[in-house]
Amino acid sequence: MAIAEELNTILGRMRTSVPELSAALVATTDGLPIAHSLNSGDANRLAAMAATALGLGRRICESFGGGGFRETSVSGDEGQMYIYSAGPKAVLGVVARAGANVGLIHLEARDAASQVAQMLERR
Amino acid sequence: MNETTIKILVAGPCGAGKTTFIRTLSQSPVVNTDVPCSTANRATTVAMDFGQLSLDRYTIHLFGAPGQDRFEFTWEVLLEGALGVLLLVSGNDATHFPQVRRISDYLLSRNPVPLVVGVTHQDHPNCWDCKEVASYLDLDPTEVIPIDATNLESASELLVRLFDLVERA
Ligand SMILES: Nc1nc2c(ncn2[C@@H]2O[C@H](COP(=O)(O)OP(=O)(O)OP(=O)(O)O)[C@@H](O)[C@H]2O)c(=O)[nH]1
Ligand SMILES: [Mg+2]
Repeated sequence: MAIAEELNTILGRMRTSVPELSAALVATTDGLPIAHSLNSGDANRLAAMAATALGLGRRICESFGGGGFRETSVSGDEGQMYIYSAGPKAVLGVVARAGANVGLIHLEARDAASQVAQMLERR
Repeated sequence: MNETTIKILVAGPCGAGKTTFIRTLSQSPVVNTDVPCSTANRATTVAMDFGQLSLDRYTIHLFGAPGQDRFEFTWEVLLEGALGVLLLVSGNDATHFPQVRRISDYLLSRNPVPLVVGVTHQDHPNCWDCKEVASYLDLDPTEVIPIDATNLESASELLVRLFDLVERA
């Protein structure tokens, strides 16, 4: 299976488990989208932003002695975006409306992020 | 603490030498957000660079921007409160010049601060002349100088040039 196809399967499974998600994408750490599933919005822009958040998150984590970076989030009045490290080369981003079940999102997205990391590791 | 802190933004197209420039000048460990570039065999900045140095009685905070267009949304954030802009461009690639103009228009339309241009990669055999770069960008020839981003003395010269301009403004 091609990389994008395999990643789309992972994203699709996650979106089925968490119907509240309105977007999910995997991008390279330098901000190019590899796979995405969005209800709306621009995947290129979201990918660049996810990479920026990951890059800053890694440094912030380092500066307070937090060890290896895992995830960061941005929350607004009407929605939130969660950004997860998916191995050394990729980042996973998911978007949900306010009021979504955050526990479930983390559970599924962390799992998806580690699947993405393992899949890219094998390549 | 009676030192004055000054914020300066270092901007320019990808590969110009912004991260290198800040590493060369900074007197404290540089915060960098470089990752391997998918499209070239080098590292590229995804969020920002940050370095500090003391010059006379000033503490200078250097904020480096990512050069790739897709990170444009960071420029406005990094520009906030900057006293001046150092725009770097590699002199060996004329295809980057239109982007330099675009970046300079983008920044100055949001915050009209003094700006000087450093033309890097001078050791390259086909490096463009600063006068030509200045006329392309409609800048005064004194505001565009050749620099080696890897060399402390050369990098400092660009900073001094910006300070001259700030003082005259
Ligand atoms: N010869 C020479 N090489 C330079 C100079 N400035 C930068 N370089 C090299 O050019 C490459 C790119 O430099 P960076 O400092 O990462 O460029 P950047 O402007 O930060 O690039 P982005 O973060 O992608 O926007 C590195 O390999 C540097 O060593 C220079 O003045 N002369
Ligand atoms: Mg850089």
